[in-house]
Amino acid sequence: MARGRPIKVLLAKLGLDIHWRGVVSISRLLRDAGMEVIYLGNQFPEAIATAALQEAPDVVGLSTLSGNHLSLGPKVVRLLREKGMEDIPVIMGGVIPPQDMEELKRLGIREVFGPNTPVSRIISFIEQEARERRV
Amino acid sequence: MKKKSLFHPETIEEIRQARSRWERDCLSPEDLEGEKNLRSASGIPLRLIYTPEDISELDYMRDLSFSGLAPYTRGVYPNMYRGRPFTIRQIAGFGSPEDCNKRMRFFLEKGGTGLNIVLDLPTIRGYDSDSPQAEGNVGQCGVAIDSVEDMASLFEGLPIDRVSVSLVTHLPSTTVVLLSMYLVMAQERGIPWESLAGTTQNDFLMETTIGSAPEILPPRQSFRIQCDVIEQASSLLPRWNPVSYNGYNLREAGTDAITEVGVAIANAEATARELIRRGLHPDSFLPRFSFFWDLHNDFFEEIAKCRASRRVWYRITSEGLGAEKPRSHLMRFHVQTAGITLPAIEPLNNIARAAIQGLAAVLGGAQSLHVDSYDEAFSAPTEQSALISLRTQQILQVETGVTKVVDPLGGSYFLESLTSQMESRILEFLEKINSLGGIIASVESGWMHRLIADFAYEQQRAIESGKFPIVGVNYQPGESSQIPQEIFRYPETESRQKQKLRELKSQRDKGAWHKAMNDLRECCLQGGNLMPPVMEAVRARATLGEIQGVFRKIFGLWEFPLK
Repeated sequence: MARGRPIKVLLAKLGLDIHWRGVVSISRLLRDAGMEVIYLGNQFPEAIATAALQEAPDVVGLSTLSGNHLSLGPKVVRLLREKGMEDIPVIMGGVIPPQDMEELKRLGIREVFGPNTPVSRIISFIEQEARERRV
Repeated sequence: MKKKSLFHPETIEEIRQARSRWERDCLSPEDLEGEKNLRSASGIPLRLIYTPEDISELDYMRDLSFSGLAPYTRGVYPNMYRGRPFTIRQIAGFGSPEDCNKRMRFFLEKGGTGLNIVLDLPTIRGYDSDSPQAEGNVGQCGVAIDSVEDMASLFEGLPIDRVSVSLVTHLPSTTVVLLSMYLVMAQERGIPWESLAGTTQNDFLMETTIGSAPEILPPRQSFRIQCDVIEQASSLLPRWNPVSYNGYNLREAGTDAITEVGVAIANAEATARELIRRGLHPDSFLPRFSFFWDLHNDFFEEIAKCRASRRVWYRITSEGLGAEKPRSHLMRFHVQTAGITLPAIEPLNNIARAAIQGLAAVLGGAQSLHVDSYDEAFSAPTEQSALISLRTQQILQVETGVTKVVDPLGGSYFLESLTSQMESRILEFLEKINSLGGIIASVESGWMHRLIADFAYEQQRAIESGKFPIVGVNYQPGESSQIPQEIFRYPETESRQKQKLRELKSQRDKGAWHKAMNDLRECCLQGGNLMPPVMEAVRARATLGEIQGVFRKIFGLWEFPLK
């Protein structure tokens, strides 16, 4: 990890999905872990990609539990690629059927965290991704 | 030996002294450790054992009385489930209206006694299925409804003049449109409105606090529409509950049981005051208010919550609001068991959790019940898991015997003590809301959002640290390998809904549509009840998204105060 500069995470709730408990809690727990967190609230993929271009985060995290993961999650990855940010890892969390987790990874999502994932696992995953990117 | 009654002051004193001796002679200091730090889920200190001493202040006629009599602690009806079993109301909602119609028929065939329809997010948020915002969400986690034609397909062949229907409409701005569609559909089928029984959610907190989403209406406008719907329904729909004050989703988002009930009651009281200000008599609308609770795992506290909530509501309606009809004081509520308590790890354990929560609902005197399915943490329930939930309700209703006696735990030293403590804590919470300027102000300022976010955060930390035990997850975790799990897959819906919208828009009478949309805009600007012009717009085949678009444009949007 680069000394002095905290890991920067961009978090968003995908589209119309109204459940904010998980993502708001995660954003505070990541801040507790010393990260800089920008929580965008509810956003559609285009706005998330634009924010990523401005903020240059180490990781983009998307939260969903309303069934839009397969259509909107990979769309964010696609838009990041189009804007030349293919190296920013995109992770997802929420209520996502196990079968879809594999499909999401195939479509470019770096990791998918289902319900009941310990936050410590998410933190260490983000730290590792950031470390690798900053080498 | 002279007999003394159980609650005689001398008896209480004897018990007090005997208790001290018992603690000294029979217990070790470790046995009493729990007295210092064991608490119920919402923080009420727990004693090792409860005796008449703990309820010596209870006034039987003032605080308990009989079922069907004030203060209704023991139930809203005299004979409770002997006279009217709780309605078995499992949620259905996915895909197109035609898909969802099949699941509702399945429930009724298997003995469900009420319908309960959940909408997809574009519908809840007021967007048509062909709107760019709807991408990825059409027919997911709920059914897609765009027009009155969809409403007709949803209920085709279903006996809505005999079976009560709950429409989980969430937002008031959606409720005013969907209830209008429901009424126009019934009229076009020749069913008189007086025969329609059911519930719409219609809670402005769902629009402004519990659901975050882009493009929310401001709290005051949402509250206005909530009141508009209730005002209209109180004259048009004698058997309809135009509002279900929603503690459930608040609790799922992050609150304890006291806040859950406190917020819902604060909202109900504020609505009643606004309708009285508009000139309505409280007895014209209070009998149709309904409530919606979330029952978690702390078994006795949840039962106490149900009983206390009825008592608090009676005190408010009789003392504060001046209602006179007995029915105006009745807090009738639906219960859904707690989705948030059902982990994805070892999901079959969730059948036990949901059954115990369902039992608490019955012991708490619920009027209708939905038992969650074990596979909630993956997707909507499969037909099989939904059937287990429905069967759980039937087991409670006919096999366990718990419906045969009214309020069977009434009089328990522990439960009565807990009920009284829940009551006083709910009343304290209501005072807190008042001191903040009322329910709308506490939303506008973001206070309510912070309260929820803080609770959710603290609870997540308690789970991480193991302080909040969840069996199989952080307590005695099992093998990490997953048993293969059948997952419900949503049928493709988006293209079918888009096709129907194209046909609707090309076939409708354009003149009638223009006139109705203009009248609606006028009403938004000039004031007055919004429901009549919405109903006209629905008749003219305006879509949900078109009508909500008018609200968004004229009322403006509000920023969700939590980032």
